[in-house]
Amino acid sequence: MRRLIVRRLALLVPMVWLVATLTFIVVAAAPGTYADVVDHPGLTTDQRQAIRDRYGLDQPLLSQYLHWLGSVATGDLGVSFVYKEPVSRLLARALPPTLLLGGAALLLDLVLGLAAAVAAVRRPRGWFDRVTTILGLGVYGLPSFWIAGLAVLLFAVLLGWFPASHMRSVGADELSFLARLADLVRHLVLPAACLGLVAAAGTARYLRSTLLDVRGERYILAARARGLSERRVLWVHTLRPALLPVVTLLGLSLPVLVSGSVVIESIFSWPGMGLTLLQAAHARDVPVIMGITMVGAVAVLLGNLTADVLYAVVDPRAREESR
Amino acid sequence: MKKTALPFVLVLLVIACGPSQPPRPPDVGEGSPAAGGTVVVGLLSDVQSWNPYLCEDLGTANLLALVYPSLAVEQPDYHQHPPSFEPALARSWTWSEDHLELVLSLDPSARWSDGVPITSADVVFTWRAQTSLDVAWLFSAAKDGIDAVEAVDEHTVQVTFNHRYPYQLMDLNDGPVIPAHAWSAIPFADWHDVDWREHVVAGGPFTLAGHTPQQQIILEGNPGFDRPGLPRLNRLVFRIVPSDRSLVTQLLAGGLDFVRSVPASEVQRIQAADTLELVVYDGRSYTHICWNTERPQLADPAVRRALTMAIDRQTLIDVVYAGFARIGIGPVLSSFWAFNHDLEPLPFDPAAARALLADAGWRDTNGDGIVDRDGRPLTIELLAPAENEVRQDLALLVQEDLRRVGVAASPRIVEWGTLLAALDDGDFDGVINLWEEPTQIDLGEIWHSPPPGEATFNFGRYRNPEVDRLLEEVAGIADFADQKPILDRIQELIVADQPYTFLVENVQLSAHSTRLAGAEINAATPYFNADEWFVTTGTSE
Repeated sequence: MRRLIVRRLALLVPMVWLVATLTFIVVAAAPGTYADVVDHPGLTTDQRQAIRDRYGLDQPLLSQYLHWLGSVATGDLGVSFVYKEPVSRLLARALPPTLLLGGAALLLDLVLGLAAAVAAVRRPRGWFDRVTTILGLGVYGLPSFWIAGLAVLLFAVLLGWFPASHMRSVGADELSFLARLADLVRHLVLPAACLGLVAAAGTARYLRSTLLDVRGERYILAARARGLSERRVLWVHTLRPALLPVVTLLGLSLPVLVSGSVVIESIFSWPGMGLTLLQAAHARDVPVIMGITMVGAVAVLLGNLTADVLYAVVDPRAREESR
Repeated sequence: MKKTALPFVLVLLVIACGPSQPPRPPDVGEGSPAAGGTVVVGLLSDVQSWNPYLCEDLGTANLLALVYPSLAVEQPDYHQHPPSFEPALARSWTWSEDHLELVLSLDPSARWSDGVPITSADVVFTWRAQTSLDVAWLFSAAKDGIDAVEAVDEHTVQVTFNHRYPYQLMDLNDGPVIPAHAWSAIPFADWHDVDWREHVVAGGPFTLAGHTPQQQIILEGNPGFDRPGLPRLNRLVFRIVPSDRSLVTQLLAGGLDFVRSVPASEVQRIQAADTLELVVYDGRSYTHICWNTERPQLADPAVRRALTMAIDRQTLIDVVYAGFARIGIGPVLSSFWAFNHDLEPLPFDPAAARALLADAGWRDTNGDGIVDRDGRPLTIELLAPAENEVRQDLALLVQEDLRRVGVAASPRIVEWGTLLAALDDGDFDGVINLWEEPTQIDLGEIWHSPPPGEATFNFGRYRNPEVDRLLEEVAGIADFADQKPILDRIQELIVADQPYTFLVENVQLSAHSTRLAGAEINAATPYFNADEWFVTTGTSE
């Protein structure tokens, strides 16, 4: 196990370097630069040149790359072209809202997905199973921007139950701690529900299928033959092995948890990594794009590692293979 | 553990769904311009820097104009004549006889938000920052005509210009006054490394009370603002919402009080809401197709005229703009003082368009429905930005209109950065684009022949020696009245050449909640009289 972790951690640095280098090449190959974005009639040739000089846009690509790599190696992610502040500070500000939203969505995903799957397999092809199958497939097949738009229209505009956007109300700073917390939760409900419901639909379908497979195993038959209650058979003997793949799902969710959802964060003006990335891409704010990509790459690699480790912890067979 | 967590979550959910709201500022009587209240304005992007000379977008500049004082206030009267100015920090000004020297008398009661008087030292320091190479202000070209800004005494400033031209006062007034006492200790060379949020000292009607990046900016009335009773609002809050459509949704949900620019497709939703009011007025922008005049099939003005006459622009207005636009005519908007009123839009006339194409040698010789010349069909790739649905819709409708006269247009939707690069490189046939016109008429930027090897906004590489000569002539004329006949002639020539198909002049649509009153909304200045805004009943969230 320890060898697995050390081996995978050793691979982390070259993998992150590879991802970041590929991103650098892709961003450099994309047409347009920040200088084009801020260009306007009235700028003199000298001013245009000054902008290119200030952001190093006229440097040869290799020189830009080496400069960026040198800075990253010393822990400096550079300064945002748009906001003129260190990228590390921007990311430190964007990460907590994304973690909060992603965490809430993940919780919703697991709780709803698990509950729906367990309820469905109690009576396979019963009315609940059929309804959740149809609903789940419907929700899973709908684009998230459409679900989010509908949710805002219904719950924010028509019913007025939840705010349409942002993390806090105007004037929330003047509220007591509990009221401020409640204000935050009110703002969290719609975006987290939009992210979590779609994910839960997928989890439920996946888990239902695994649960049905496990129910057909001979040790389940043996458990029933021993006279165990149906509840114990389901919750102890069926669910535990069926949950193993969910561990993998959890690990794969980590990147989304950290990188944020561009679509949902944009629609709900949620100030996280996804929204920051979208705005950086539009403005060709290369240091920010690179910074978020690096964080995303680390999250993917750590997520996979976490999944493998958890898998090895809960499943002795995987532990044997990893040796 | 699980048993204890569940009630906590339930309590939170109950609180969250309950009627808990932040405290509301005191309401004011309906319709009365009393003090107090909060107004929430929707903003598409966050402030880039709290130093007005380091920001590179107009949205930031417009917002900072509420925090830092201006010498004078540009009036929205550019429809009748070049914009006039009302006194602000400069209470009065007098010109020398040769119009090269201007003496400004500053308001002696003006104070920064920290109580320090605003003096001529601030105006001199501002000019030094505006023209500093270390600061490298993007709009410093406005100061090219100024040789010196000197303090005569604490409240008198003398400005010396190097030549006489029509927009001297406008150029002097470009950029707000900044606090010398607070900022001069920071060398210009270090300005780009400073977090300016910590250095805001206001001299305008509002001061910074809070800024949560990507979320909101809270401005509060500046106690040092020297106009009695103003600003009327306690707080002006800007909420950052990254898309047009979301702005309208939040306006409908009651989260915003004012959205400056509303898409025409959202007009019905706004008109159906009792709590909202739509404001319709002449905009300062026009949407056009920029033709690449260096492409062989688009080099002939007759062909470009034919393309314009093949497009049913009234239908575009009805379908895409819900009627909220006017047919475009030429390079000066018809609502501007400098517009040539003898000009008419080219008519929608597909038969005449076909005849013009035939005269230029483009005929359908092989019966495939597409006109051709020397064996080559007349094909045009039409670029439109992926971020703008209106221009994408226009591209599709234009494609259909052009097909009817035998021109094969193929729309290509590209990301904004890609489109900008194509424009810079001249690598396109036609681009559906939009120009927002400043109130200072300067046609040279877009219509003068592009200088070889230099960046240009004449993306279509349009060249007309007569237009070049007239543009150079008009730049040297000091009097607006003398400029007008030459500007008229330039417009005639450009309309005849059709380097652009001037699709529509955009009508500006703003929307605000009915509780917001006193706002004089115009196309010249986004938050024109924000110090006089007030709320009638209730408040926003």
